[in-house]
Amino acid sequence: MAKYNKYVQIGSPTATGGAADTAMAKVCQKYPNVIAVLEDMGMPGIEWIKKNQPDHIVECGIAEANGAVIAGALAAEGFMPFLHSFSFAVIERAYNQIRQSILVDRFNVKITARDGVWGDLGISHDIVEGLACTRILPNMVILNAADVVEAEKAYLAMADYVGPVYFRMEQSAPAPFKIFTDDYPFEIGKAYAIKDGKDATIIATGYLVTEAIKAIDILEKEGLDVGILNMSTIKPLDEEAIIKAAEQTRAIVTAENGTVIGGLGDAVASVLAENAPAALVKVGVEDEFSQSARLTAEVDELKDLFGLGARDIAISVKEAIAKREQFKLVRK
Amino acid sequence: MAHSPEVIAELEDKANLVRRNIVRIFENSKQGHAGGTMSSVDIVTALYFHHLKLDKKNCDWPERDRVVLSKAHAAEAIYAVLPEIGYVPKEMLDKYYSYKSQFQGHADRWCTPGIDYSGGSLGQGLSFAAGMAKAEKLHTLLNPPPLRVTAANIPKLIMKYNPSYRVFCIVGDGELNEGQNWEAIMFAAKYKLDNLICIVDYNKFQLDGPVEMIMPIEPLADKFKDFGWGTYEINGHSMKEILDTLELVNNLYGDGKPKCIIAHTVKGHGIPVWESVHLHYSRLEGTTIGVKEGREIYG
Repeated sequence: MAKYNKYVQIGSPTATGGAADTAMAKVCQKYPNVIAVLEDMGMPGIEWIKKNQPDHIVECGIAEANGAVIAGALAAEGFMPFLHSFSFAVIERAYNQIRQSILVDRFNVKITARDGVWGDLGISHDIVEGLACTRILPNMVILNAADVVEAEKAYLAMADYVGPVYFRMEQSAPAPFKIFTDDYPFEIGKAYAIKDGKDATIIATGYLVTEAIKAIDILEKEGLDVGILNMSTIKPLDEEAIIKAAEQTRAIVTAENGTVIGGLGDAVASVLAENAPAALVKVGVEDEFSQSARLTAEVDELKDLFGLGARDIAISVKEAIAKREQFKLVRK
Repeated sequence: MAHSPEVIAELEDKANLVRRNIVRIFENSKQGHAGGTMSSVDIVTALYFHHLKLDKKNCDWPERDRVVLSKAHAAEAIYAVLPEIGYVPKEMLDKYYSYKSQFQGHADRWCTPGIDYSGGSLGQGLSFAAGMAKAEKLHTLLNPPPLRVTAANIPKLIMKYNPSYRVFCIVGDGELNEGQNWEAIMFAAKYKLDNLICIVDYNKFQLDGPVEMIMPIEPLADKFKDFGWGTYEINGHSMKEILDTLELVNNLYGDGKPKCIIAHTVKGHGIPVWESVHLHYSRLEGTTIGVKEGREIYG
């Protein structure tokens, strides 16, 4: 059995969607200026809001461009608006609106969106580029929780932070392991080392942390001691933690449920190139779109198709170690 | 109530002062969006020097009327007004387009006192204005202790207020090509935003040519009416018509309808050479001739 760090106790798979619902109800009770700006796609906690704070709902209909700017204006007047939809709609459809009418003035707007390749709705809805296209926008904070505990904590932290935040949700199947204990101290901008390891480090985000945990077991049987760094804040990126991991193992694998172009993998690559040379292998979707898969039965096929499963991560770790030897990089 | 000839004459003088300031801006910048700036001068003057509820000592006064300049390339018109109110020093007129200037190329909330909306990407201002108008209604409904958030005061400022204000949105005719306007127009009607007044600076020309050739928007008044707005058409260079209509609209507050004033204007109004070519954007030569004419007319 792998030896995990404090606040980590691996449990059975638990869906994260409910955590956001619970967190949203808490946020609404803590902050009386929360407004649910709807785009005909519901929102975490919306049933609670409808029942308890119906006056806090502003419904914009299927008009995401208008919705994003309405949210910006409400924030300009002191409210804390939440926007929600699939990432192709709430973000990509309103990309310039978010830039111009939310981010330029750092308005206190929270965006939650369903993003990632897991899904049964097809190429239009199963989005690979959600992290890549938001990461390049100034003033944007991006969160992507690994499990149900972190999802709730990150959601609450998003509300406490004053400024625009994108909360990425991979709430379709498969459910991630329950990873953290209830006293896990989540902080925006801080990566958390789930496990230390001397041979290599997997820097993973969201559901891929679960696959990384499975990969560790595979690698352990082969005598490799591999660490996992949970990168739940994509921006601002915890560069210090990445540099520390690079110096310790000089072999890094990034893992994300999205495109390897411009996502977490590239973010880590920049930090390594500028600060701490290390062999790097990026696990993620190559330059292609997703497709439908039945969530209950066929997700493993999708994992195989895109190379996102534990076995793929384990293979990538060995590749990274081989590269390290090839590059003659020396561990601290 | 009709406005007296004295009030109208005084405001026409103010409009000429604004034009003189705009000429000064162009004299130094050597470039800018001349046509759409000049067409909106009379509207901007009527608003800032007469109609708006403002605090000359506090540009962030919560009760102030909001102005959303959706056609933010016409920022020079409002830049020409701000020093007269006292929100920025008059020397700023010489620093338009400059590095670290409060007068950026397009009107920006984050750096210019008295500007409520960071614009420049066309077709979004009416949504922003509708959002501000909806916020005013929500404040009345919910009365929360909100955070007034700007780039400058993000971490600290918490104010309790329940402000009452109107929102004026100045929209260009060309930017009505953008579909988002019609999303905002539906939104404003749905939420009965009678505190929202949209003024269309209808100067009939956009960058590539006449609006009716680029993308016809007629029948414009009928469109707003059919979307549930109270709609008025005026001569956008008649101070009397502008003032009377603004007052008429103000008196209708409470009827549950957002209002649209379609102001027929002339691109480049007040500078003959700019009027003659329906100038959109001016650099160097176009500016030089216009500035020379402007100096002769407005001093």
